[in-house]
Amino acid sequence: MHDIINQLDTKRARAALGGGQKRIDAQHAKGKLTARERIDLLLDEGTFEEWDMFKEHRCVDFGMADEHVPGDGVVIGYGTINGRMVFVFSQDFTVFGGALSEAHAEKICKVMDKAIQVGAPIIGINDSGGARIQEGVAALGGYAEVFQRNVMASGVIPQISMIMGPCAGGAVYSPAMTDFIFMVKDSSYMFVTGPEVVKTVTHEEVTAEELGGAVTHTTRSGVADRAFDNDVDALQMMRRFFNYMPLNNKANPPARPTDDPADRLDYSLDTLVPDSPNKPYDIKELIFKMVDDTDFFEIQPDHAKNIVVGFARMEGDAVGIVANQPMVLAGCLDIRSSIKAARFVRFCDAFNIPVITLVDVPGFMPGTAQEYGGIIKHGAKLLYAYAECTVPKVTLITRKAYGGAYDVMASKHLRGDVNFAWPSAEIAVMGPKGAVEIIFRDEKNDPVKVAAREAEYKAKFANPFVAGARGFIDDVIMPHETRKRICRSLAMLKNKKIENPWRKHGNIPL
Amino acid sequence: MFKKILIANRGEIACRVIKTARKMGIKTVAVYSEADRDARHVELADEAVCIGPAASKESYLMMDKIIAACKQTDAEAVHPGYGFLSENAEFSRRLEAEGIIFIGPKHESIAAMGDKIASKNLALKAKVNVIPGYNKAIDTPEQAVEIAKDIGYPVMIKASAGGGGKGLRVAYNDQEAHEGFTSCTTEAKNAFGDDRVFIEKFIEEPRHIEIQLIGDAHGNMVYLWERECSIQRRHQKVIEEAPSPFLDAATRKAMGEQAVALAKAVNYQSAGTVEFVVGGKDKGFYFLEMNTRLQVEHPVTEMITGLDLVELMIRVAAGEKLPMTQEQVRLDGWAMECRINAEDPFRGFLPSTGRLVKFMPPPEVPGAVRVDTGVAEGGEISMYYDSMIAKLIVHAGTRDAAIARMRDALNRFVIRGVSSNIAFQAALMQHPRFVSGHFNTGLIAEEYPHGFDAADVPHDDPAMLVAVAAAMNRQFLKRNATIAGQMRGHEFQPGSDFVVLIGKEKYEVKVTATSPREEGWDVYFAGQQYAVRSHWQFGKPLYIGTINGEPMCMQVERRGLVYRLFHWGVQADVQVMSARTAELHALMPMKSAPDMSKFLLSPMPGLLTQIAVTEGQEVKAGEILAKIEAMKMENVLKAERDCVVEKLLATPGESLAVDQPIIAFK
Repeated sequence: MHDIINQLDTKRARAALGGGQKRIDAQHAKGKLTARERIDLLLDEGTFEEWDMFKEHRCVDFGMADEHVPGDGVVIGYGTINGRMVFVFSQDFTVFGGALSEAHAEKICKVMDKAIQVGAPIIGINDSGGARIQEGVAALGGYAEVFQRNVMASGVIPQISMIMGPCAGGAVYSPAMTDFIFMVKDSSYMFVTGPEVVKTVTHEEVTAEELGGAVTHTTRSGVADRAFDNDVDALQMMRRFFNYMPLNNKANPPARPTDDPADRLDYSLDTLVPDSPNKPYDIKELIFKMVDDTDFFEIQPDHAKNIVVGFARMEGDAVGIVANQPMVLAGCLDIRSSIKAARFVRFCDAFNIPVITLVDVPGFMPGTAQEYGGIIKHGAKLLYAYAECTVPKVTLITRKAYGGAYDVMASKHLRGDVNFAWPSAEIAVMGPKGAVEIIFRDEKNDPVKVAAREAEYKAKFANPFVAGARGFIDDVIMPHETRKRICRSLAMLKNKKIENPWRKHGNIPL
Repeated sequence: MFKKILIANRGEIACRVIKTARKMGIKTVAVYSEADRDARHVELADEAVCIGPAASKESYLMMDKIIAACKQTDAEAVHPGYGFLSENAEFSRRLEAEGIIFIGPKHESIAAMGDKIASKNLALKAKVNVIPGYNKAIDTPEQAVEIAKDIGYPVMIKASAGGGGKGLRVAYNDQEAHEGFTSCTTEAKNAFGDDRVFIEKFIEEPRHIEIQLIGDAHGNMVYLWERECSIQRRHQKVIEEAPSPFLDAATRKAMGEQAVALAKAVNYQSAGTVEFVVGGKDKGFYFLEMNTRLQVEHPVTEMITGLDLVELMIRVAAGEKLPMTQEQVRLDGWAMECRINAEDPFRGFLPSTGRLVKFMPPPEVPGAVRVDTGVAEGGEISMYYDSMIAKLIVHAGTRDAAIARMRDALNRFVIRGVSSNIAFQAALMQHPRFVSGHFNTGLIAEEYPHGFDAADVPHDDPAMLVAVAAAMNRQFLKRNATIAGQMRGHEFQPGSDFVVLIGKEKYEVKVTATSPREEGWDVYFAGQQYAVRSHWQFGKPLYIGTINGEPMCMQVERRGLVYRLFHWGVQADVQVMSARTAELHALMPMKSAPDMSKFLLSPMPGLLTQIAVTEGQEVKAGEILAKIEAMKMENVLKAERDCVVEKLLATPGESLAVDQPIIAFK
């Protein structure tokens, strides 16, 4: 018995060292933490329960028979973040470069399975050189086992990826299927094929950071949701982000009491929308002033900035916010912003998080780039997401709601539960200038008549009353009472229940 | 008394005049430009008339429109405020011709004082000290020495055509005067092709001190002591105070009496100010000019005298007699005013425009704290007008107490959306030279020769920052412990040991909750206890409370993982983390901000209208690189040194964010 306990201690100490002190130092020298250090910072202190610490690979080829490190390059288990349960796997780059073996994959699958069974989110920390080549197809099979579970878990429990080192080739597809991806600047990258292959095939010279670094994926590609300066920042922010994650698709969004009064009025919002319809303003000011404690966690802040999405709380309950941003491209919808918002709305819908939509949209972005890029199908994704969505939907039109974009942005017709408008709202098929050019084509050479027609059109549509008369707008509210009115609406909708007809699954225009 | 007056001005001064008029039961009419449609003065007035487009030339300076507005609204009198038409004799004359009363001096008085030479001659006649000098051409060095001796050393020898410090010599004795004349004429001839020079008294350590006075139509006039206005940046007043820490009673009286003598010489019948330059070495004072209007800094005089200058102006304009004699004028305590400008002290005081996302001035306390402002939260600071958005005025028993009160008030002044000079004002308030009272008009130029930098403001007591950040962080953790859905029996425990990081400084702290009756935390570090008590709520910008019983107020903002604290002009980014986090944080690489010296960065948000260079082009210092239009103003960006253009990073027509790179250089 004593022997066994002594052996256990030795084995634990051995496993805790991963690939050994030299490799740990090398990891630190790269500005990266080790797999276990990352878990330390991610979870509440002392709450991590590790599984499969002694698991090893079964490969005997290419000299691997003698190469064994307990744990086999990934640390798995569960613990809590602010007392709430979460499953974790964290790849250990110090062991075989974090390469994925069959056994390594089995460990990941083990926590994924358990997370689905008990209904708790899973966070995967990726730092791996790829498949363990010595194992061949066994490693590839391992990846696919993980992929399958990612899909099964999708919409059941939140899955979050943290990319904290290399993640290349087939390895990228597991994070790609998770709900959110956080990356670390300068020390993480994701790509399907690396710079070497790129050079051979397309003759492009590009660094790993340019090809698939945190900045690339959070600005250009939109693959990742947030980029952080270092591991510590990323892990601390993940703890904050986790406060918005429901445990599973049957749980309520996590409530947290607040002192911020629901009936707080903010008169400075009355001057937020400028007099000139062409002058931009920052929609984030409305978000900050509307939500609890001015606290807003933005998703993809540097990608498709013409739409703002993120999490906040209203009266303590987590909500998702989608808002057109007039500061960028006049807030119009284009391919990238449609995809960004559609995915966000679907996440909220899957996990019972109410959606607040703030609308100031002049329409869809015109141009060959957009049409050739398939704006029709991509724009339809957002439309589909909103139409399918059954969680409470509160919509506020602050200024422009023109054309098809009006329909898309959680309009009454797409089962918007409560649709508000500010007095500055203009709901119409298009702006006065364009409309007059079409309706009164014969008069287009007479500037006096055109001006008169534009004024006429403006008087008729540059207000929320036409939509109000049809019941498309439930009420016109003053900007200063926005928080109060939305809080009341959400409180009213708390027990809302509607169901879509049974189907195997819908066919979103991918 | 008038039933209705019109205020031909905007901003804080219009609001301030409206306030007094309302107190006196007089109805008010505001005028406004199209840019000021939603301005506070329009809202406060009983009536408002739009007088044209944003540009002052087409609105606030249009006499016809203002006179028409008076007629339209039946206003009997016009208060001009300061600036705009306030010292325009023509405006005063035209109003008189229309039978409308100008709340200010008679147009003859304005005209007499509006001319530099005429006013100086008037001053000489009224036996007011003027800077001694010799204004005719001087032929020989010997003659120059004679003149210098007459004036009294030190003297300044100046080229008639001079400027920018060229052709300027200071002489303290005969020999220096002799040499100075010779070298000055030579230099002037070479530089300007004109060797004429003149000589005048050189004022050492000059201070700008001015006398406020007020007269009525019945021949009465009093002076209301002085204002010290030496704290200036590029000839713009920054801080004003009353009384001056420099004057003694005798000098004060002599200056006051000369000011009154001068004003009486022009039959002055309103509030006015006589400016003097005062030698910091010998207390000699000399007339500079007279301002025939109400001045920006008039509130400090009001604070120490208990008078309402606008009310007095209105009363004397209506023909009333001054209600007091010189003997009855009080001088109580000490008053100070900080001009709060929309400008960025960390970017060379560049004017800042935009929306006032937050604007929370400190609460007014009668007789102690006063805020004169013309803006409100949600308002727009446009580039059309002056950058001054508020005046913060304090009053206390002594100068030291006034400084302490001002520092506290500055701590509580929250402005977001546009930059403000609050940090700079706070830095001046704790500058030893300012605190000592021994300063002159050169203080800012001497102490901040390369502009203002965050490093110029060390915090008196960094422990305060540590304690507040640690307490705030613990409050956030306590809230985390209240989140729903925790594992039963395994709920989150916030812990009590933390590490606080401010820059490279590291503090190990322990934080414990106080008894439930008190709201706050006890923070222990370096062997000291800091009892932090506050009712602060998440998201609120002001952390008001006490530390060890001492009242304090800090501006706080959580930005990602950093608590940004503003206090006494210091902006500190503070991080608080667990011991384990700090241990691992120490392993993280320091990421220095990328070197931006090889880039042309956009100094402001705006539209890039032109790039004047091409890739590969060699550029000489001073050549135009690009043009940016911001708020309808064209800003020309020039090369600071010789360089070669590597790459253009932005294209004309693009909207630029502040600090966005436009051009990369080799």
